[in-house]
Amino acid sequence: MADPKNSETATGLSDLKDKIGHIPIIRRNSFVYGFLTVLILYGVFLLPSRGSSGTVDLGRIALFGVLLLIWAMVVFTDELKSEKMKTTMVFSLFIIAGWLYYRYSTARWGEMGFLFFNVEMIQKAWPTLMEGFWTTLLLAVGAAIMSTIVGLLLAVFRSFNNAVLNFFIIAYVDFFRAMPIIVLMMLIYYALPFMGISLSAIMSGILALGLNSSAYVSEIFRAGFLSVKKGQIEAANALGLTPIQTMRLVILPQAFRVVIPPLVGNYVASAKDTALASSISIIELLKAGLSQKSLLANPSPLIFVTALYLAMFLPLTRFAGYLEKKMKASQRQVRL
Amino acid sequence: MSNMNLPETMIEVVDLHKRFKDLHVLKGISTVVKHSEVVAVMGPSGSGKSTFLRCLNRLEEPTSGRIYIEGVDIMAPYIDINRVRTEIGMVFQSFNLFPHLTAIENIKLAPMNVRKISNKEATERGMALLEKVGLAEKATAYPEQLSGGQQQRVAIARALAMQPQIMFFDEPTSALDPEMIGEVLDVMRNMAKEGMTMMVVSHEMGFIREAADRILFLADGLIVEDGTPDQIFNHSKHKRTIEFLGKIL
Ligand SMILES: Nc1ncnc2c1ncn2[C@@H]1O[C@H](COP(=O)(O)OP(=O)(O)OP(=O)(O)O)[C@@H](O)[C@H]1O
Ligand SMILES: [Mg+2]
Repeated sequence: MADPKNSETATGLSDLKDKIGHIPIIRRNSFVYGFLTVLILYGVFLLPSRGSSGTVDLGRIALFGVLLLIWAMVVFTDELKSEKMKTTMVFSLFIIAGWLYYRYSTARWGEMGFLFFNVEMIQKAWPTLMEGFWTTLLLAVGAAIMSTIVGLLLAVFRSFNNAVLNFFIIAYVDFFRAMPIIVLMMLIYYALPFMGISLSAIMSGILALGLNSSAYVSEIFRAGFLSVKKGQIEAANALGLTPIQTMRLVILPQAFRVVIPPLVGNYVASAKDTALASSISIIELLKAGLSQKSLLANPSPLIFVTALYLAMFLPLTRFAGYLEKKMKASQRQVRL
Repeated sequence: MSNMNLPETMIEVVDLHKRFKDLHVLKGISTVVKHSEVVAVMGPSGSGKSTFLRCLNRLEEPTSGRIYIEGVDIMAPYIDINRVRTEIGMVFQSFNLFPHLTAIENIKLAPMNVRKISNKEATERGMALLEKVGLAEKATAYPEQLSGGQQQRVAIARALAMQPQIMFFDEPTSALDPEMIGEVLDVMRNMAKEGMTMMVVSHEMGFIREAADRILFLADGLIVEDGTPDQIFNHSKHKRTIEFLGKIL
């Protein structure tokens, strides 16, 4: 690092590190710890009391924050400080920031339990929330099934490489990727009935989500098909397999492996969009939570809904990531 | 070696042409391959050896010309090409095993789905073939768990499982490490001895000298020489052939 030959290529930050590196360790340490003592004393004696909000008080809080940051930067740019110490420092910084907010914001921390985690309220809201949950699930699963079928068909047609067919498929994909889902829902639910095409709200929701998702799914499958090497198809043909057998026995099984991680990711993304269905009068999970919040004048149902969304999507997101990692690992093993 | 001089014609090619857009790759190839004959196809890179083989089972669509396999005109419009292909086993330079299937599953796939034979029978036949290529103990291994030479031997067994009349090999050993070439050539040598009709694109001189009945020497899309290994290797008068052999020897 301190090699003079490298100094031309060194960036500003490592220049700084070089300079600090030349300051004797005793002096640097006494500076760092002295500064820290000052900060602690400041925190104990000079920070205003809880809930203060005068200009002078705010100034004192701000100054404390600035000093804290300066100190943190000094420690962080010090190459001789251990990684562990820097990590501890960064975390402490976040904790102190959180504590400062807790101490000086006017939020009603004391009522948090009653407001956000009120079991009684959640119990009252439970039947409606469960109905919302099943509706959300229906929307998500319906859209997933529809988009898988349509997307797969589109990708298969696309693989025929017919110019006219391709034109229409590309137009379809572009159209539904460009079209906001909420607009699509409203078109289907509020505009089509004028034409005499009336779909139930749920059907409209599934259709809009499915159309949008199918555009992505078809691209995912297309990439999956393209990942199957040409030699595979030739080998299958040379054995006398028909094009349909080749698709079913050779291309699809190989493409599926490549396709599953992005596909799961796409289902999750599409499932998250189910909340948009509230715009066409569907009482799905979010809408159920919102309406119960209004009815009970307590946000606990919304907090519960948030937790439910996380409980549904967190494992799926993890799962998709895990599959992706596994696939990358197995790809590395394949020879030739 | 099978110099029984069977009169029966296995493959007949008449004035075969193949163009890729502006590129005229095959410029009128005519030849006859007899039953049990082992024909080596040699020639410089880009001379059209692969294209020639691939036209014979229509993996590549010929531009013009006639091809007869066992007397059947495979260029006829009503022909079921998949049916024809079941009679011609093909082995590729890059093996092209199906990576999602084990060795035995690779072998069973076509017999079960094309020939519609039962799983049990296909497994028995497949195991016998694996035995033959010396890989019985690798039946449940996936391609990625096999060496190049082992993969190529499985690929040969897979082609043989359809009980074809003819085997095509397109540079079956060029992607292999030197120490694995022998094991693949051994399998091919045995097939030749058993009377399989074979067309082999290869530059393995030892194998060709020993196993081939004839060599077709291709250059610029034409057969410039057609003769026994001895004629071609030792008594060739063609400038292109001598030049080429000089390079690979
Ligand atoms: N699908 C294709 N599209 C366009 N040109 C092609 C195609 N396949 C082959 N060619 C061209 O045809 C010519 C003959 O190719 P071919 O693969 O038959 O040669 P080869 O004799 O097998 O060569 P090598 O020894 O390198 O395998 C080459 O110039 C090649 O670039
Ligand atoms: Mg070739």
